[in-house]
Amino acid sequence: MSLVKEALQQLRKKPATKKYPKEKASPAKGFRGIPVWDMDKCLLCVLCQNACPPAAIKLVGKGREAEISFSMDRCMFCAECAEACPKGAITMSEKFELAGTDRGEMVFIFKKKPIAQEQK
Amino acid sequence: MIVYDLFFLLVFPGILFLLCLAFFTEWVDRKFFARIQNRYGPLYTGPSGILQPLADFVKLLSKEDIVPRAADRALFTLVPIFYVTLPLTALFIMPIMGETGLIAFEGDLIFLLFVFGLMTIIIFLAGWSSMSRFSIIGGVRSALQMLSFEIPLGIVLIGPAIAAKSLSISGIVQWQSANAAWGLWLQPIGFVVLLTCLLAELELIPFDIPEADTEIVAGWRTEFSGRKLAMFRLGRDLEVVLCAALAASLFLGGAQPLWLIPPAVVFLVKTIAVVLLFSFIRSLFARFRIDQVIAGMWKYVLPIAIVQIVLIELGVGV
Amino acid sequence: MGYASTIKVPFGPQHPALKEPEHFLFEVDGDTVVNVTLRIGYVHRGLEKGFELETYNHGLYLAERVCGICNIAHTVSYTQVVEELMGVQIPPRARYIRTIVAELERLQSHSLWVGIVAHEAGFDTLFMYVWRDREAIMNLFEELTGGRVLHAINTLGGVRRDITPEWETKLRKGMDSFEERTKDYLRIVNSERTFLKRTSGVGLLSPQDAVKLCAVGPTLRASGVKEDVRADDPYIAYDEIPFNVVTSESGDALARTVVRVEEMMESIGMIRYALDHMPSGTIKVRPPKIAPPGEVLSRAEAPRGELIHFGRSNGSAKPERYKIRSPTLANIPALCKTLIGVHVADIPIILAGIDPCFSCMDRMAIVDRRTGEKREIEK
Repeated sequence: MSLVKEALQQLRKKPATKKYPKEKASPAKGFRGIPVWDMDKCLLCVLCQNACPPAAIKLVGKGREAEISFSMDRCMFCAECAEACPKGAITMSEKFELAGTDRGEMVFIFKKKPIAQEQK
Repeated sequence: MIVYDLFFLLVFPGILFLLCLAFFTEWVDRKFFARIQNRYGPLYTGPSGILQPLADFVKLLSKEDIVPRAADRALFTLVPIFYVTLPLTALFIMPIMGETGLIAFEGDLIFLLFVFGLMTIIIFLAGWSSMSRFSIIGGVRSALQMLSFEIPLGIVLIGPAIAAKSLSISGIVQWQSANAAWGLWLQPIGFVVLLTCLLAELELIPFDIPEADTEIVAGWRTEFSGRKLAMFRLGRDLEVVLCAALAASLFLGGAQPLWLIPPAVVFLVKTIAVVLLFSFIRSLFARFRIDQVIAGMWKYVLPIAIVQIVLIELGVGV
Repeated sequence: MGYASTIKVPFGPQHPALKEPEHFLFEVDGDTVVNVTLRIGYVHRGLEKGFELETYNHGLYLAERVCGICNIAHTVSYTQVVEELMGVQIPPRARYIRTIVAELERLQSHSLWVGIVAHEAGFDTLFMYVWRDREAIMNLFEELTGGRVLHAINTLGGVRRDITPEWETKLRKGMDSFEERTKDYLRIVNSERTFLKRTSGVGLLSPQDAVKLCAVGPTLRASGVKEDVRADDPYIAYDEIPFNVVTSESGDALARTVVRVEEMMESIGMIRYALDHMPSGTIKVRPPKIAPPGEVLSRAEAPRGELIHFGRSNGSAKPERYKIRSPTLANIPALCKTLIGVHVADIPIILAGIDPCFSCMDRMAIVDRRTGEKREIEK
């Protein structure tokens, strides 16, 4: 009978569960969600590709038209790429609701903007 | 007149009303149990989740019904049907609409005890006919548990009968309203013992040993699926209503008119109160072991029940 | 034709009592267990081979994923092995941060376990309450490390994130409220009569048997043997933080519960001490890429017991051989000994009593049927 008092107290309190998906818990600052590349700062230097343990990042192509191909389904959310980037072009966003049904949707391509657009 | 009889039998307070009451009590129980544990319980189906038991029932009806190869087919199919119809039949003797039940005769209390015994035999047969290791253990445990609680249950049910000088539940309800007294304060020990034995009959924590899910998967219910499992769940809810109605009628005054409130509403309120009491006790304890239940029941509960009868014979609580 | 007097009840690989798949085959006579046969290897993942294929930096993340709930213990042990191989000394502030995170993980793991054992005993209300309070620790982890379960805060050469003053305030408040709740759980565990009836005197393990069968961790300490890697062989900052090694004399399931809850109280005290005496300075140094040849064996006190990592390097960027011995594997023989002669209803409580984490533990044995010789492939 040692829980009687506590059980009666709980009846007056609001439940501890959140009514997901209507109420969502927001992640803390500094949460390691999916990484996002800022291509204005990116040097296409390949350091993030070397740092990624599951090899989710690939630099495809050569020169300025090279693109970064990021497979979200391989990503471990470890933030090694964000630490390895010399320009701080990678930020770990706060998105974590990433489930999907199509494998093809899991690959993100990041490209630098063409030079004509940048000069404007 | 036959239209009236058919209405009473089929709609109110007959089968339809009892089925709705069964689903409603399951919702009340789940919500209360959840609130004690600081969570919501059923939430989305219907306002505040009230349609959740019905949704579960309908979902189970649509699932595949698998019969194990080694199971005894005839018994395996018949057992769920009996499990639903037995409490439904027993509920007809409960006074719901007024102080007399739909079917009332001298000795319907004994009939009720007989139904309780039959239900446990049905549970044992359910476990036995499934021929699976877990269900056999569950069925055997259920039979063992019945050996322990049945005698105190019978003794404590006779208490109000001795006081009312009637072996009919309707007679006991009428005696309580005639004396303006409830069995609760006339025979409080009897009420406590009755609650304990009813918890053991319904296989609720701390006595849910026959279907302990962390030990023997689901006990005697392991091999049932689809429609048969739906029948088991419905039968379980009906059994809860039966036991709550029994406690409410014998010790809390039952369906008495209270000023202007009709007796059916009073009956509902008292039954739901007993169901809440079951849920509250359910949330407080861990599960016992079967040998502890048998030892405890025979060593402690039975003497207390006998003490209650002795007190009645001495004139206390009549 | 006679009939067998015992029936065989299989527990697993899928069973509500087991959180992870292993196979126990019980021979039950009436209600008493007469014999138990064990078969493990259902979650063998080939991790030790995986270590040989990755560089040291990437291998850190493989080590983290050996077990989700004791991942800090695995990364601490791994970084100790590799830092010793490379001859790297981590700064004092990093050692203290590692200690705080390791003790927070012990709190989180033990409170999860209290909920599990309550659930196995049918005490669902306590299970819900404990897991609700555990969320406070998960939120603290999320703020510091960026992840609730897999923290990725240890790195070769130190830690990756520093403790900010705001987080320190939150940690202190969190520890105060968690300490109140833990005292409450200690009271409930010691006084709730139905729970006591299920756990007291159940699964007795004598101290001689515990030492002979190589039990480790709280299972060993609940039988009265005072052994704790943090005290016997201090690592990270444990040589500078005072604490008591909690033991109990009864050796039953109740003793294991009480030992773990009291260890939670000790951990709260240690975290406070570490926060008060935190040295300032950098949090990491840069390790080299290649480790000189050598062998290192490192021990850590995971929440479940003594964890051993062994690494051998041959001078290249990848280890030549890596081996892990996790505490659950060491507790399994003691578990099989305590399971004989108990009621069927006691089985889940005893199984949960060693705090099984089968994903850490698996290894596979190959028996050559022709010659009868046995080879073991470690995980």
